[in-house]
Amino acid sequence: MINLSELNSCKILAETIADYIPGGIMFGYIDGDTIAWVKSSQQFNVELFTVGYQIGADTGTMQTIRENKTIIQDVPRSVYGMRLSIISIPVVNDSGNAVGAMAIVFPKIHPVAASFNDFAPILAELFHEGAFIFMTDLTQVAYRQASPKFDMPSIAIGTKITTDDLPYKVIQSKQPMEQEIDESKYGVPVYVTAYPLFEDEDVVATFGLFLPKVTATNLREMAINLENSLSGISAAIEELTSAASEIHTNEQSLNNSITEIIDISEQINDVSTFIKEIADETKMLGLNAAIEAARAGDAGRGFGVVAEEIRKLSDQSKSTVPQITELTHNITLKVDEASKKSHSSLSASQEQAAATEEITASIEEISAMSTELAKIAKQL
Amino acid sequence: MGSSQYVIFSLGEEEYGLNISYAQEIIRVPDQITKLPNMPAFIDGVFNLRGKVIPIIDLKKRFDFAQNERNADNRLLVIDLGNMLLGTIVDDVSEVLMVDDASIENLYSEMVSIGQNCIQGICNMGDRLILLLDALKLKEEVFQNN
Repeated sequence: MINLSELNSCKILAETIADYIPGGIMFGYIDGDTIAWVKSSQQFNVELFTVGYQIGADTGTMQTIRENKTIIQDVPRSVYGMRLSIISIPVVNDSGNAVGAMAIVFPKIHPVAASFNDFAPILAELFHEGAFIFMTDLTQVAYRQASPKFDMPSIAIGTKITTDDLPYKVIQSKQPMEQEIDESKYGVPVYVTAYPLFEDEDVVATFGLFLPKVTATNLREMAINLENSLSGISAAIEELTSAASEIHTNEQSLNNSITEIIDISEQINDVSTFIKEIADETKMLGLNAAIEAARAGDAGRGFGVVAEEIRKLSDQSKSTVPQITELTHNITLKVDEASKKSHSSLSASQEQAAATEEITASIEEISAMSTELAKIAKQL
Repeated sequence: MGSSQYVIFSLGEEEYGLNISYAQEIIRVPDQITKLPNMPAFIDGVFNLRGKVIPIIDLKKRFDFAQNERNADNRLLVIDLGNMLLGTIVDDVSEVLMVDDASIENLYSEMVSIGQNCIQGICNMGDRLILLLDALKLKEEVFQNN
């Protein structure tokens, strides 16, 4: 307790040290139930506490005066807008009765909050894509730190926490939590994480950070696009493969047709041989008829003309034979050529099929890689 | 100026003509020719023409021409020599041709005698020369060794 006669010395002491207390401090002398004197540090001040302010009867300070004993009280945020520790020391008169109290008020700040402005700017710089670091109390955003690369402009100091927000859930569950949020909420896809901060086993605040997920999201989208493109390519290649086997089938049927054509041209040759035989026979008939006509003398003259015509006719039919033979020979040559070409197209298509298989194998590898890439992108 | 018909046939590259009045008929070379013993090489043998046995000679052999394989185009020209028929194997019989007497050139008699030839003359048709056979001389020639 402080004797009333010592009060001035205490005031001098308080005024001297006030600005040297880290985190700030406020001194006040309550005379009866009214503040008679205050000294606050530059760093910390409770605006309500001014000279003339009458303090409530249910306060620790009033209890100190009533009970004439030193009381240390933690005041929750709900009372003065911030959490405070108030030490009240009774001030007694010469007869030992408490007539007032000297109150020493400290801001009660979580260590993380106390150093937030020191570490948060550094921490925010450490992230490659930038980061937004925040701290909330139980109802609103208390500290914020943007990095040059990344900011969350919609989150300001004083922004209320809603039941949808991760800090609310963390406060409720008392567990660290993380969440991915697509661009529909903040305009950019973000990853947000929040940790509960405890004091005496009670959650008093949350600390967390927002990380931009633009690169990871782009990467994931690209990986998905890549997979889609690859499956498109795979489908096209399958079509190629089936086309190659169709070429193979066509080539075989073409070869069969060619063999048939060769058979048919051989049959034509047989027919032309037959024509030649008939022509030879007819020619001999014509010649013999001419001989007979000559023997018949004048009477056979007309018959001789017929005989000559028969012979000419036989010559004509015979002359078609080498033409037919040449034609069938040409057919055989052309057909052989066609056969060779179709063979070469077959071998080309087989080479193509082999190349296609190689491509398919490569595509499968790339496909597997793109799946892996999508997985990695999801984990980012 | 008269003209007469000739049966034109070939022996190798050359064309020959035989007056049609000596020609009996033209047939294919028979498959079966019966060989005769002790005969000159140019006599192939005999064969049966509708009941008559007639000798066959190979004119190319007789004329000492280069031989070639017989083929389907070879013909047997049956010559009527009055009292006998003679089959002659020729390469091909091509036509019956009306030949102007004017186009026939006689060979020099010296040349004929040197070769003891049975060539009666040469028919000059411009782009082709046809040797005309004298059938009767041919008969003499063929059988002179007999």
